[in-house]
Amino acid sequence: MIPLVAVVSLRGRESRTLRIRVPLMLLWLLLVPFAVLLSPLIFIGCLACRVNPFRPFSVGWQILMALHDTEVEVEHRSAGVSICVF
Amino acid sequence: MNEHRRQILQMLSEGKISADEAERLISALEEGSAGKPSENVYGSDAKAKPKYLRVQVDSEDNDGHEGPTKVNVRVPMQLLRAGVKLAGLIPAQALHRANDAIHEQGIPFDLTQIKPENLEELIEQLSDLSVDVDQKDHETKVKVKVFCE
Repeated sequence: MIPLVAVVSLRGRESRTLRIRVPLMLLWLLLVPFAVLLSPLIFIGCLACRVNPFRPFSVGWQILMALHDTEVEVEHRSAGVSICVF
Repeated sequence: MNEHRRQILQMLSEGKISADEAERLISALEEGSAGKPSENVYGSDAKAKPKYLRVQVDSEDNDGHEGPTKVNVRVPMQLLRAGVKLAGLIPAQALHRANDAIHEQGIPFDLTQIKPENLEELIEQLSDLSVDVDQKDHETKVKVKVFCE
């Protein structure tokens, strides 16, 4: 399943936490035109490097699917950033 | 008496489990030996494939000037699989150059050996991976933990 939401938590030194829900679906939709524009270049690059030109798309899709449940949390002193992908 | 039954009785004698629990385990063991593999008796978690790779870093400054720093990263195994597949897309010339650079650093690792055929084996080996690093000096105390869960 493609990750649909990312929750970004920012905690400042005054122990105030700002939690932002990022709708990733919108991000993917915004990135689609760029992917379409880049795809011929990727295709040609793969042919030049003698790599199956369809594999990068397949692997890219797998990476996108695998991002689900990724979590990164960094804290320093009382400040911190946390990113959870759902 | 097989090894599993002996372990259950040992746990009972040590008081780790009650008589009821021991009875349930033994009956499950008997059912398991009739059809299922015996590992399932002790919980499927024992052989369950890990889903995540976790990296935890705790760093503390002894002087107290910098304050503690914590990093906690959870990476799904699926992402590792996809990453290894991505590494498989690297052209051969680039792999050889990367290999040369790795060998120059004295690391005996061959990137050309990372192939989709070896992928599952690699992930399986990662499931037993557990790295604990503790570093203490007069200025900082750092703990690094890498494990699968």
